[in-house]
Formats: sequence, C-alpha cells, structure tokens
Amino acid sequence: MRRESIHRLLPFVLSLAAGMALWEIVGRHTSAAFMVPLSETIHRFWQLAASGQLGTQFLDSATLFATGFALALLVGMPAGLLLARVQSLRVAIEPYIMILYATPMVALIPFILSLMGFGFAPKVLVVFLFAVFPILYNTIEGARSIKPELIEVARSYRSREWALWREVMVPYTLPFTMTGVRQAIGRALVGMVAAEFFLSSTGLGQLIMTATQNFDTGGVFAIILVIGLIGVGLMRFGLYIETYFARWRD
Amino acid sequence: MNVAAPTTSIARAKTAGRPVGAKARIRVKGLGKRYGTLEVFRNIDLEVGDREIVAIVGPSGCGKTTLLRCIDGLLPASEGEIWVNDQRITQPIASVAMVFQHFGLFPWKTVYANIAYGLKLAGATTAEIAERVPRFIAMVGLSGFEHAYPYQISGGMQQRCGLARALAVEPNVLLMDEPFAAVDAQTREILQFELLRIWESRPTAMVFVTHSIEEAVLMGDRVVVLKGRPSGIHETITVDLPRPRSRGTLREPRFAELRERVWGILMSEARAAEFHLEK
Ligand SMILES: Nc1ncnc2c1ncn2[C@@H]1O[C@H](COP(=O)(O)OP(=O)(O)O)[C@@H](O)[C@H]1O
Ligand SMILES: [Mg+2]
Repeated sequence: MRRESIHRLLPFVLSLAAGMALWEIVGRHTSAAFMVPLSETIHRFWQLAASGQLGTQFLDSATLFATGFALALLVGMPAGLLLARVQSLRVAIEPYIMILYATPMVALIPFILSLMGFGFAPKVLVVFLFAVFPILYNTIEGARSIKPELIEVARSYRSREWALWREVMVPYTLPFTMTGVRQAIGRALVGMVAAEFFLSSTGLGQLIMTATQNFDTGGVFAIILVIGLIGVGLMRFGLYIETYFARWRD
Repeated sequence: MNVAAPTTSIARAKTAGRPVGAKARIRVKGLGKRYGTLEVFRNIDLEVGDREIVAIVGPSGCGKTTLLRCIDGLLPASEGEIWVNDQRITQPIASVAMVFQHFGLFPWKTVYANIAYGLKLAGATTAEIAERVPRFIAMVGLSGFEHAYPYQISGGMQQRCGLARALAVEPNVLLMDEPFAAVDAQTREILQFELLRIWESRPTAMVFVTHSIEEAVLMGDRVVVLKGRPSGIHETITVDLPRPRSRGTLREPRFAELRERVWGILMSEARAAEFHLEK
C-alpha cells in the first residue's frame, strides 16, 4: 500500500522538481524584464505578504469571488431545477442560455461598464456571469436525467412539489451541479481578474497591474502563482464535495 | 374457447367474482384505459376484499401495470371508476401503497432512508420514524443493512427494502407489480413465502400482478386472467387452497390442478409464444 503510493507520487514529485529547476535556470538566464527565477518570485511573494499588500488585496479579491460565485450557485441551481421540471420554460429559455454560455464573457465587460460603472456590483456581475452557466447547464442536464419511474414513486407516496425537490430532485442532481461548480471555479477566477483589470482596479488584479507598470516581474509572477494555486486548491475542494454528494453511485 | 373443466369442480368466472372478507376494499367498475389511440383494456370489473389477495396474470403488454397504476391513482381512467375504502380514486391516497417491478428505490438514500420515505412524506416525526423503521427492517430481514445504499445490496434485498417501504406506511391496500420478476428464481421463492408470512401476520387487501402462473395460484385467493387486445378479464378462478400457505402447498395435488387450469385458460387462445412459461 505504502510502496504503491510512493510509486504514484514519485513521477509527480520528480516532475515538480524538474519544473522548478527549469524555471530557476531559465529565469537566471533571461532578462528580468520578461521573467525572473523561482527564488526571486518567492522572495517577492514574501515581501508582498510581509508588507500586508498581498493580504489586503487577497481579501478584496476573495470577497468578490465569493459573492459572485455564491450568487451563481444560488441562482444557477434552483433555476436549473426549475427549467428541468418545467418543459415549456426550458424550451423558451434554453436558446438564450446556449448563446450566453458560448459567448466569451470578456466581450460583455465594456457593456457592463457603461451600464453599471465602476462599483463593486458590476464586478460581482462579471464573476457571476462567468460562473453561472456551467452550473446552470449541468444542473439542467442532470435533473433531466432523473428516471421518470422515480418521480412516479414519489407521486405514489403523495409527494408534494416541494418534497419532490427536497427528497428527489436536489439529492439526485447535486453531483451534476458540483461538476458544473468545478468547471465554474476556473471561469470565475478568470472573471475575477478580468473584472479587476477592466472595471475598478482592486484586489489581486490591481496588484498585477501595478507590478507590471513598475516592471516588477517578480511581483507579477508571485501573484499569478498565488491565483493559480488558489484555483487548483478550489478545484480539488470541488472534486471532494462532488465525490461526497455522489457517494451513493456505484 | 375454454378448456374443459377438470374433474374437480372449480368455481367459474361469473360465480368467482365475489371478494373474500367482510367487505370490499377495492371496487373497480367498468374501467377502461386508452393511451391516445391505443386501447389497453376495457370494461374491467373487480372487487377485492379487505383480507383478500387477488392475483392478476396475463401476457406481457396486456395492461397489468397500467391497471395497477390506475388503481393507485397515478393514471386517470378513460372510462369507469375506481373506489378504494369508499373513496373515489382520482389521485394517490394514503391507505394504498405500491411495490414496483423495478423496485423504485431512491439510489441516493440508504435502506433506512428509503424505508422512512413514505413515513416522512406522511408527516411522521423523527421519533416516530426511529421507532417504526427498525421494526420493518427486521420484518423483511434487512437488519444490519440499514446504512447500505441500494447499489451495495442484491436485487432480492432491494425488493425487501421496497416492500418494507410500502409496509411501513401501514396501508390497507397493497399493490404489487410483478415484485419478484427481477430477482433470481431461488430468491424469488424465498421472497414469496416471506411475503405470505408477513401478510398472514397482518392481512390486507392485495392486488398481486405476476406473469408466473405458479406464483398467482400460490399467492391468490382468486386468480384473474387478463387477455385480449384490448384486454379484459377473461376468467376468474377461485383458489380454494387453505391458508396459511407454505412450501407444502406447492406439493398439493389441488395446487397442481389449479395451476393446470390457469395454464389452460391462458393458452386457450394460443398466444403461447408471447407467454413466459414456468416449469
Ligand atoms: N405511458 C404509456 N404511453 C403509451 N403506451 C403505454 C404507456 N405505458 C404502457 N403503454 C402500453 O400499454 C400496453 C400495456 O402496458 P403495461 O400496462 O405496461 O403492460 P404489462 O404490465 O401487462 O406488461 C403496452 O402495449 C404498452 O406498450
Ligand atoms: Mg408490467
């Protein structure tokens, strides 16, 4: 058992070490205007963290991300269930969902800017729009795949509509929704940084902009690394939740 | 049309339509059902007594499931009416529970939660559920599997769970739609006798749909044969085998006689190929 996990971990560790070494070597032989080595990136990371800038801006971004994402989940899941349950509504609305899902959301940012200006709300809207469609889409597809026999069982036991949602639709659909949530995490991070770039400049996005303007390549790399690691962590967490809600599947 | 009556006298269709027990729990009057242009059955008259098991046999596709779904209130009748406990059926009612051929368990619920489902919907408190569910788990022999998910247990155990879920709401009408058709032969036999034992301990009105002739004769006080397209009640045979019935019942000459009689009725219109014969 132990040997096996070592065997599986080894390629991962080796690859990680090689990647870090490559970064270090290439970084040392490249102009600091384009790229800095890993050691310099970590050094800058500590400096930014110690100055308190990183913490403040991180919290700022996290608030934006969490608000937008929570709204996407709060809207996407119930709306998805409703659209799966009410056929006529789905037929009417699905084309719009498909169009918006396929549209590069960045293209909407100028429009949102002119509509809502520079406050917190438009940025939340951007994160929301980036995140909501995978959640909505996966929820609809999931909820539609419920076996009609099971709905009939519920009817046989005199289930009201609300009990049908609570006992049947939601527990069945949650794993599908969570698949959407995992897809949405990556998109929402893009949305977060894009909103911070193009709307009022705050958070980690602002840190990247400032560092770029100051030719602080180490700073840019440090923040990108932070965002990447957060993304990986969130997706891992999403997978864990998805597995938890899907534990009844064989 | 009908096979010649065997040596012993067996009550015939017209005289066999009376329910056993003090009063009729289920009254089906002139029932007809169409799906669009497909007429499934017509003119079904059936009464089931409050302590009676009526077995319904008929070839696949003759409308057995449809009939049960109508009685359960899941489907509106096209003609005629259904009364259960002197209540006109237009939607599912509390005192009727159905056991499904496909088990109908919720795969995301454990055995315990599946059995608690009907009680929960009926508004039982957690305390009531905690008191009742273990009783029914024990009754169907699922102790130790409370926390298993359906995919983790065998088909036979899944149907035990389906049965317990139906029994737990303490219905006075049980509708069984080929409940043991999807389990292997050995398990099926075990489940048949367990169902009989459970029913003996608390007899209710039961409609037991099957396409096994043996099973129909073993379970039923009467066997109703559905036939034709659209189908109708072709004949009703009274099963005068004593209760409680057990494995010994299967060896009685009277059992063989009745089985042959039902077989003859089903085969008389020579759609034998459509029918799954039992050895
Ligand atoms: N929802 C439905 N819509 C249309 N036709 C149906 C539906 N359900 C069943 N049928 C048809 O009605 C007939 C009777 O079906 P069913 O009641 O399931 O028969 P059985 O249970 O005896 O095998 C079959 O021909 C079947 O194809
Ligand atoms: Mg059927």
